[in-house]
Amino acid sequence: MSRRSAPPALAERMLRLAVRDPEWRDAVLGDLAEEFGSVSRRQGWPRARIWYWRQAAGIACRVSAGRLLPGTAARRPWRAPTPDDDATSRWAWLRDVRYALRALAGRPALSGAIILTLGLALAANATIFNLADAIYLRPFRFAGVDRLVVVASAPERDPLADRSSVAPADFIDWTRESTTLTDLVAADFWDPNLSEIGEPEQLAGHRVSPRFFELIGATPQLGRTFVADEAIPGRDKRVVLSHGLWARRFGSDPAIVGRAIRLNGEPHEVVGVMRPGPSIPYGAEAWAPLAYTDEEWRERARGFLLVIGRLSGTHGIEAARAEMRAIVERQRREHAETNARREVSVVTLTRGLSDAGAGPFLMIWQAAAALLLLIACANIANLLLARGTERQQEFAVRLALGAGRWRLALQVLVEGAWLAIVAVVIAVPLAAVGVDGLRRALPPGVLRWVAGHEFLQVDLTVIALTGLMGLLATVGFSVLPALHASRAVVGDALRQGGRTLTAGRGRRWLGTTLAAGQVALTLTLVVGSTLILGAVDSAVNGVLGFDKAHVMTARLTLSDRPYATPEARRQFVDGVLERLSGMPAVQSLGAAAFLPYGGFSNSRTIHPEGTELTPAEVRSADFQRITPGFLTTMRVAILEGRDVSEADREDTRPVAVVSRSFADRYWPGQPALGRRFRTAADGPWIEVVGVSVDIMHDWFMQQRRPTFYRPMRQDPPFSLSLVARTNGDPLQLAGEMRRAVAAVDPDQPILELRTMAQVVDDKVSGVTYLARALAVMGAIALVLALTGVYSLVAYLAARRTQEFGVRMALGATRWQVMRLTIRQALVITSLGLAMGSVLAWALGRVMASSLFGLVSLEIWPLAVMVGLIGVTAVAAGYLPARRAADLDPTEALRIS
Amino acid sequence: MRDMPPKPPYLGEFEYAVLLAVMHLGEEAYAVPVRELIEDRTARPVARGALYTALERLEAKACLRSRMGDPTPERGGRARRYFAVTAVGLRALRATHASLARLSQGLETVLEES
Repeated sequence: MSRRSAPPALAERMLRLAVRDPEWRDAVLGDLAEEFGSVSRRQGWPRARIWYWRQAAGIACRVSAGRLLPGTAARRPWRAPTPDDDATSRWAWLRDVRYALRALAGRPALSGAIILTLGLALAANATIFNLADAIYLRPFRFAGVDRLVVVASAPERDPLADRSSVAPADFIDWTRESTTLTDLVAADFWDPNLSEIGEPEQLAGHRVSPRFFELIGATPQLGRTFVADEAIPGRDKRVVLSHGLWARRFGSDPAIVGRAIRLNGEPHEVVGVMRPGPSIPYGAEAWAPLAYTDEEWRERARGFLLVIGRLSGTHGIEAARAEMRAIVERQRREHAETNARREVSVVTLTRGLSDAGAGPFLMIWQAAAALLLLIACANIANLLLARGTERQQEFAVRLALGAGRWRLALQVLVEGAWLAIVAVVIAVPLAAVGVDGLRRALPPGVLRWVAGHEFLQVDLTVIALTGLMGLLATVGFSVLPALHASRAVVGDALRQGGRTLTAGRGRRWLGTTLAAGQVALTLTLVVGSTLILGAVDSAVNGVLGFDKAHVMTARLTLSDRPYATPEARRQFVDGVLERLSGMPAVQSLGAAAFLPYGGFSNSRTIHPEGTELTPAEVRSADFQRITPGFLTTMRVAILEGRDVSEADREDTRPVAVVSRSFADRYWPGQPALGRRFRTAADGPWIEVVGVSVDIMHDWFMQQRRPTFYRPMRQDPPFSLSLVARTNGDPLQLAGEMRRAVAAVDPDQPILELRTMAQVVDDKVSGVTYLARALAVMGAIALVLALTGVYSLVAYLAARRTQEFGVRMALGATRWQVMRLTIRQALVITSLGLAMGSVLAWALGRVMASSLFGLVSLEIWPLAVMVGLIGVTAVAAGYLPARRAADLDPTEALRIS
Repeated sequence: MRDMPPKPPYLGEFEYAVLLAVMHLGEEAYAVPVRELIEDRTARPVARGALYTALERLEAKACLRSRMGDPTPERGGRARRYFAVTAVGLRALRATHASLARLSQGLETVLEES
């Protein structure tokens, strides 16, 4: 049948929908089609179409009027359709869903505000959760990771414990005696210099037991891992490369296996290349066999091994802990001279290898994000409640027509679910933007060390969690309005919208609580983010104790073979400094073992002269070795005495400059100059010749970490950082430093060339980004809370317009009327501020204790915030009050 | 002894017309010719919706029975629904006809124009 002779398709479709019985549908449509043919032959196609439409409409009308063709319809008792019609039908909910969508689309401004609020809060939560999940909760994702533990000679409760702390002899004992742990493997830091190809470079690596790879479930992409045989000294010149290093330095050369590469000046045979995946431990890029001599395995005094093991059989971590405690207890007795105070801890691999400082920080951010979500929910609930009162007539009509109360509540819940679904949909891309910003805020050089950084992306877990939070939020913000809707009273509401003068007491109480809660949570969040911002500021720009501007730094580590003797190291340092000192751009110049904020540190136990310390009383201090120019270049002020000088040589008496806090700790209230201390019970006495200001070494640590500086000449270190101050851009010195090092030793790589400002910023950039994000969250929360208070007060004032009219007609003054409204705002605000102050104070206490002294809890920021929020909230109450009071009483009375 | 047949259903005027038309058409009785016949003989327009409703109601009252024919191309591949008058329908027709006849007895001179 050609298209022109066919009846209009749309009309046919309408009829098909109208006539439900299939046989009748066939007959009716067929009849019309047959007649359409003759009509169009007689009158032409266009008129036939019109004819068809008229007939179809006529039939459909008959049919829809309830005298429907299929038998069942005709027999059904007639009654008027009510909102509850079809309640028993399987598809009833679909109607609610459609109705809810219509209701929301009808008020785009309100819906948009709610969706945006919720979307932002959800995105903030998703971003922070992704960060916590990637780098803290699940940085390692391979099969069996939950059975792996890290055993360390450190107290269980110390969050900053050094996990690489096990003495080789202790390790041997453990492998022999432990039954709860199988496959105990050890790893030792090994930072080989890679030379011969391109720029020399120091690699991050580890020497590991042969079974190490098997334990962490890693298999090579090329070649093999180590065999037991290779853990024997002399046969250990083998190396396994990480996938990243293979790609970066060897152009993914498939023939690399079997070739020799030069590490620390010695050829090492490449036996394998690992697959892409987590670099365990600590961003390792190269692994060599851990091949100690018998002599070295007997070392019990110093602990430096990282020990990883697998829980055997069905043993839990508690069983392993108990067994290890027993073993270590026995070691303490049998090797009292070295092990007397040795502790033991058994923690999961995830906890053992993650950054100790990350946990508390991430928890604070997650809590802040959760708070934001709570505030958003409270705000949305308040908005919906206010709307609910406007909609009381709608609800009452539906009730009167027979809708069930729970059905009305369901209606509100379904509307909430719609809002949440849209919010989740916009929250996911927003979270992706947030995560991306986070990745970009961390420099690649830092990111490489962050275990689990590869999981920093919006994945299914994040999407699922966002969905779940959206669901919870829906329940959170719509339960109260839903309950409220279900309590709609037919009579009251139908009697011409809100003739009652004041809102019901229950509702007012509810709204007040919600708004006050919002104010309380906001105060908490705002104070919290102020504290964090302050902490970050003092970490980045605050009292560093040194001047980070105009300083160029170069970090390097001298290889242990060519620089085995102190004399060789001394000559290297002297040679490089001498070359650089001739440069006109260099103002001053120095070297130190570590840079503050460089991420490394060293410490020694301190035994001051004249006091007998029991082993338990001995404390350690930061140990730094410097050349005479270092403190000058870093602009670290000397308070008393002198700096180290060229006169302090290897053959003169040992001296040290100590920090203010060092002097205060050991000789409180007394002059420190001329005092002596030693770093071992039988070591040489070191004389204090100067006292310097405190500087911040690492922002995770306490601000005033006691430090002593020794002349580098008297104890030359392997790790070295050169610093040079200039007038202009410090980067112009980069080339000079490189040339100076190459001139002294062409095989010696420079690990990092960075300005001092970069060193500090790299260390805190992630935190700076998060702090800014937190500040944004605080600002959003503040706006939300203020709109919450404003909308509630404005709404209550509007409800009482008639009451105000009556009062003013009876002689109340403008001010008396305004006072009523402002009092409400005051009640809400002061209630909220009182609760919030308590919460904020508690949060501050938690943060001060978990952020290692960076956060100083003072009363004034709290007071400022209380004042700010209080004033704004009352101002928010003033406008509606004035509007209410400005009304002409007669007009006010007429308004219904 | 046979049961007394149940009292035949009452027919409305339009239903009466529809039943008569179906009887006239016999084997060929489906909605289109039924409507044409009624319109032709009564000179009154018949709404299709009304006709379908009437047919459906008559079937529900067991005055009519229906069967589906074969699909034809001119109907867009759809089948005709053929109707036939049942015994109940016939009795109803007779009863209605008889009552109308009784009612018009003695008025023949007025009713039947020559």
